[in-house]
Amino acid sequence: MSDFSIGASFVDGQVVLALRGEVDVLTAPEFGAFFETMIDRGHRTVMLDLVGLRFMDASGLTVIAHGADRLEVLGGTLTIRTPAALIRQMLDITGFARLVMLGDDESEYGSLGPEQPVGRLSPAGGPSSYPMTKSVRQFTAIHSDDEVIDGALRLAAALARAVVGGADGVSVSLRRRGKLETVAATDQTISTMDATQYDTGEGPCVDASTHGHWFHAESLGEETRWPSFTPRARALGIEAILSSPLLVQNRPVGALNIYARTPGAFTKVAQEVAATFALETSTILNEAETDVTDDHLSIRFLGALRAREVIAQAQGVLMERDGLAEHDAYTALRRLSLENGRPLQERAEHIVDSTRRPDGAHG
Amino acid sequence: MADSPIDQLDHFRRDAALSHGELWLRYFELGGMSTGLQLEAYLYGALEPSRHDHDVIAHALNERFVELGGNHPVPYDEDGRAGHRRREDREETDTGRPPAGTV
Repeated sequence: MSDFSIGASFVDGQVVLALRGEVDVLTAPEFGAFFETMIDRGHRTVMLDLVGLRFMDASGLTVIAHGADRLEVLGGTLTIRTPAALIRQMLDITGFARLVMLGDDESEYGSLGPEQPVGRLSPAGGPSSYPMTKSVRQFTAIHSDDEVIDGALRLAAALARAVVGGADGVSVSLRRRGKLETVAATDQTISTMDATQYDTGEGPCVDASTHGHWFHAESLGEETRWPSFTPRARALGIEAILSSPLLVQNRPVGALNIYARTPGAFTKVAQEVAATFALETSTILNEAETDVTDDHLSIRFLGALRAREVIAQAQGVLMERDGLAEHDAYTALRRLSLENGRPLQERAEHIVDSTRRPDGAHG
Repeated sequence: MADSPIDQLDHFRRDAALSHGELWLRYFELGGMSTGLQLEAYLYGALEPSRHDHDVIAHALNERFVELGGNHPVPYDEDGRAGHRRREDREETDTGRPPAGTV
């Protein structure tokens, strides 16, 4: 049996949902219902505290993705506190693993310096020498069609915020129709930071997006490169910025921007993780054959998460209704699919719908 | 090893004209929990999937064959492969691969 509990506390206008135990297909609905209820009640600043969580599978990630979507539409923000090990496990399950490499020994890492061309970061031969970034390649492979990207970039931003040490906020800027715009941002201050750079035409994000180099503003108090932008950033409490270019076919198309409220916040490890994130985000854009002038909001990956959710729900219905064990319920679904010659997902939707319409109106 | 059931999965994948990534996505959609690397290891026989995992992969492939106008030639573990083979004898060659007309 899965054990799972969730508690809410309210701090400075923010609701903190603390999860304990395991989130899987059996417990994710409870997590989802709780999360949705908080949003329904008008909470717009939500923190998910996953520190007490031992395990989360993709059904939990689905809940987070849905909640993040809703909060974004409502102008809210979602932040996630999580231990690195859990993130890694979750990423591995969902195929995001190659986006992240967490290192333990800072001495192994190179440093970005204030500005640096891409590809000369790591003394040991560049980020490609990191084993996990070479490993799971499927995430990019699934974007062979043109249903792309913003959702993936939002998730990448949230993940970068969670795993890059010192990060207080992350954004992804892309050049669309000749203008830089923020595609993903972890909170409103970060959006404003980006917008300020677009307005002033200067700043590390603009430079990274234009020149295709990494830009690291270690301490804005000592920064001289962006005289119009820097005071505005400091007025919003930002003290350090790391902007990594996103490259498609070796041309800069945008930047992954990481902001901190503490000068010198980004250690060498953090810089390396950030650079890896940017490289991998570029890979997504490249392999997706992204038309960066396009505005598709959906990605197939989120569709896949939703399909899984429906199948898990249908499994739950069969387990409850027919007293089946989890795998037996799945086998039953599969047989229904074969007997009817219809996709399993469709059978699953049918079963879930039937519980909502006991009169069988849509039979 | 060439004719082991696990090796056959990759033959089916190629017959179904699915890339590893596309098969992984379909497998993931159907509730599969293994990573793409693990899936590839299953397909090549380097790792043995659980019976459940095997059947999720088999179903992902079978749904693809149905999309292509074929039958569902990939046998399931939890139905007992031998029994399934008997039912499907008319559709399968000796190696368990789909006949040319299936796809």
